[in-house]
Amino acid sequence: MKHADTLVIGSGFAGLMAALVSANQRKKVTLLTCGSGSLSLNSGVIDVLGYDEQHNYVECPRQALANLPAEHPYSKIGLETVEKAVNYFLDFTKDYGFPYRGSLDHQLHVPTAVGTMKPTCLAPHCLDGTSLHGEEHIVIVGIKGLKDFYGNILQDNLQQSLKGQTKFPIVEVNTPLLGGRDITTIDVARWLDTQAGRDSLVEQLKPYVQADSTVFLLPQVLGTKGQACAAYLHEKLGAEVLETTCLPPSVNGLRLQAMLKRALRDMGVEIVEDTKVLRAVTDGKKCTGVVARASVREKTYYADKFILATGGLYSGGITVREFEQPREMIFDLPVYIESGEENWSNEQLFSDKPQGFAKTGVRTDNDLRPVDEKNQLVYENVYVIGSNLGGYDFCFEHSGNGVALASAYKAALM
Amino acid sequence: MEKATVVVIGGGATGVGILRDLSMRGVNTLLVEKCDLVNGASSRYHGLLHSGGRYAVKDQEAAKECIIENQILRKIGKSCVETTGGMFVRLNIDDPAYEEAWVKGCAESGIEATPITREEAFRLEPLLSKNVESAYLVPDAAIDGFRMSWQNVESAKRYGGRSLTYREVIGIEQANGELKGVKVRNTITGEEELIECEIAINAAGGWAGKVAALAGLEVGVQPDKGTLLAFNQRLTSHVVNRLHKSSDGDIFVPHGSITILGTSSMSIPDPEDTSTSREEVENLLSIGEKTFEHLRDCRMLRAFAGSRPLYIPPGGVKGRGASRGFAIVDHEEDGLKGLFTIVGGKFTTYRLMAEKMADKVCAKLGNTERCRTAEEPLVPEVSEEAKKAARKYFPAYGTNLAATRLGPERFERVVKRLEAEPEKRELVCECENVTLAEFEEIAQEDSCYQINDIRRRTRVGMGTCQGNFCALRSAGLFAQYGKQKRAAETLTRMKEFLQGRWKGIRPVLVGRTLRETEMTRALYELSFHVNGGKTE
Repeated sequence: MKHADTLVIGSGFAGLMAALVSANQRKKVTLLTCGSGSLSLNSGVIDVLGYDEQHNYVECPRQALANLPAEHPYSKIGLETVEKAVNYFLDFTKDYGFPYRGSLDHQLHVPTAVGTMKPTCLAPHCLDGTSLHGEEHIVIVGIKGLKDFYGNILQDNLQQSLKGQTKFPIVEVNTPLLGGRDITTIDVARWLDTQAGRDSLVEQLKPYVQADSTVFLLPQVLGTKGQACAAYLHEKLGAEVLETTCLPPSVNGLRLQAMLKRALRDMGVEIVEDTKVLRAVTDGKKCTGVVARASVREKTYYADKFILATGGLYSGGITVREFEQPREMIFDLPVYIESGEENWSNEQLFSDKPQGFAKTGVRTDNDLRPVDEKNQLVYENVYVIGSNLGGYDFCFEHSGNGVALASAYKAALM
Repeated sequence: MEKATVVVIGGGATGVGILRDLSMRGVNTLLVEKCDLVNGASSRYHGLLHSGGRYAVKDQEAAKECIIENQILRKIGKSCVETTGGMFVRLNIDDPAYEEAWVKGCAESGIEATPITREEAFRLEPLLSKNVESAYLVPDAAIDGFRMSWQNVESAKRYGGRSLTYREVIGIEQANGELKGVKVRNTITGEEELIECEIAINAAGGWAGKVAALAGLEVGVQPDKGTLLAFNQRLTSHVVNRLHKSSDGDIFVPHGSITILGTSSMSIPDPEDTSTSREEVENLLSIGEKTFEHLRDCRMLRAFAGSRPLYIPPGGVKGRGASRGFAIVDHEEDGLKGLFTIVGGKFTTYRLMAEKMADKVCAKLGNTERCRTAEEPLVPEVSEEAKKAARKYFPAYGTNLAATRLGPERFERVVKRLEAEPEKRELVCECENVTLAEFEEIAQEDSCYQINDIRRRTRVGMGTCQGNFCALRSAGLFAQYGKQKRAAETLTRMKEFLQGRWKGIRPVLVGRTLRETEMTRALYELSFHVNGGKTE
């Protein structure tokens, strides 16, 4: 009978981080995944907290974290642990050759494909547009035939975001990818993984380099692996090369995912793919195992500790089949939900207050273990992390990957 | 300054039908509509081409009109009608006596209702509840209200008919008891204008009472709200009706890749009220799942509502009890010569209503041309040859969809684009197979002020993803190809488009719809930061 120290369920950012930190604690870790996780949909930058409940911009996340309500996951995790998690992540990305930058003191600003500047806490160099101010020679680079990148939208709105006077020129580069199916950012990134691709791009962009300060702004296409591609282009062009966030597939999310998976393999984490966890095996307040369905039959996985990272409403870890009847799908844990139609959602999709439904999530104590409505512990060796946690709207406050990182870190250490 | 012999007020099915009929009879006619075409009841309904079975017990006259018009619309509007056939099913909880009355009613109204065995019913519709006791096949069908209406306008154009959208009627000009013209405001620019005419036809549906009031007259119209649910799959291949006394939530209509369930019936004071609530959704679901038991496991795309303009003659009944018949009022009887109101009726009989209305107007004008709307197809069909030649440029099954959406002339232009510029074969909307070339063609029309105007013509954003991917694409392409200045405000147009989708998603925010919504927000609010926030 196989028995792990820690069993992690879920392959999004939270699940991968929890497995990584657990393995780092010299634990024997098993990771069960079903599907490819949400990192390919996710820009892969780490938003800790961009906006508060009143929709005010947060310049210093550290300060704002201290003022959050008690039911917010960060309040349960604690500022000190958030800080440690951030440092852990920065060290890890540095060690693995794709360093992120940033801190809890200031926001970075990431250019988006629609020309807005998105505040975030940690980002790799190639997405950090903090120093852009509109006076540089910014060249927008489109890729002929690439789907979902519109230079015209980027150009118009970036001008407003940066309050720049000049109109940023758009150039369109050719690739050998035309003529078949639609071209995605991954296709272009794979082309730029090759020497021929990189050299071709350098050739095509060189004429637009101006001596003083040139910044090339591209969709997320700078290679599928780490920063090698961006660094090469930077060196050969003698210019800054930046990416914007884009519609999925997110190349940067995949870079982060690939790096995390590599680290997990290096540390001997057992990853079981395509296995859907159906239910738990419990003994009073203790969970002893989970039953999962593989391709043909059910199989039980045993462990001392369980970390639940199944992604909440976003990924189906929690479902609401009927109005006001939420359900956590594996342990059937008590779920917090806003009641009443008016509290459930706002009239505007993009409004100045959080959406009620987004706060749906498992109730936990300060150790991130599930509790019922009377704050009684449900299981003492189950930890809930990431989007499964209730009490916050990750889209509205820009905090998704931040909560995932900090809660994963905390749960792994418990 | 615009001038016309007849001004038609209202761009719903009734209005466009009248525009076509009068134009074909050679009358100089102009239609004005305060929003885009077909934004009211004519698009906010089941999309059901009634066989008349629904009315066979209660209203035989309506039933007879339906079966006749059903046959006509199949003939003149081939590309708008999906000939699904219909099925009436009685559940074990439904009254058998009603079934008897219904069979008799169908026979008397000339509606062919063929009894089939339970086994046959389950074979044709495998998802049906086993509580079905008896079943009949009838000639119901699905019809696309948007397409039907545009084709009427296209057809009218060929005979000189004109239409202006985003023009709200703000005054009825009269002198000495005679109509002089109609005052309109351009709802985009705010400009006001007088359109001189001899006759005005108030075909404003639920708004008919408000239009009449501009002339100081009263028309008894009661907006009656019906709520519908769209499911993201084809639950049935036939239109499925519950065989009982007509009630809420008892009709399922398959359309393309989706199914529409409805409807409710609720008197409301304001025809603008197209809100829907969780309570109405829950009500429809709990009735609907009697016929299809696994209904709640299907993803709901959205809920929507429209208001039937029920005509209430003085002292008449309201709500479901009110007649689905129509009425024409000549306001000369009220002291204003030249103004008519047409109200009531149902989509299936819009052509007949238009014919009766046009007969009255022509009599007044001394025009003796006869009505030809039942004989001539709305638009010429795209030839099989042209479709065959176009097939190599379109994705899989996209050729037919585009051909029926576009009609022959636009289709030809789009195919030329696809041929000459291969990059325009890209799909802007994978759900509904809309190519960049088609989007470009429609975006360049003068009547497209916002992405929603393009959506109604191309179906971009109306499929499975409800705008997740095409909101960005549409904003980018509209800015590039659109003729209106507003198209350049990309973030605003993009948010407006997603908000339009949100309106229908909000009341059905459960199950898998929640997941889709979280994805929309993660993409646009998080990755694209479109919501911004307070910086001070």
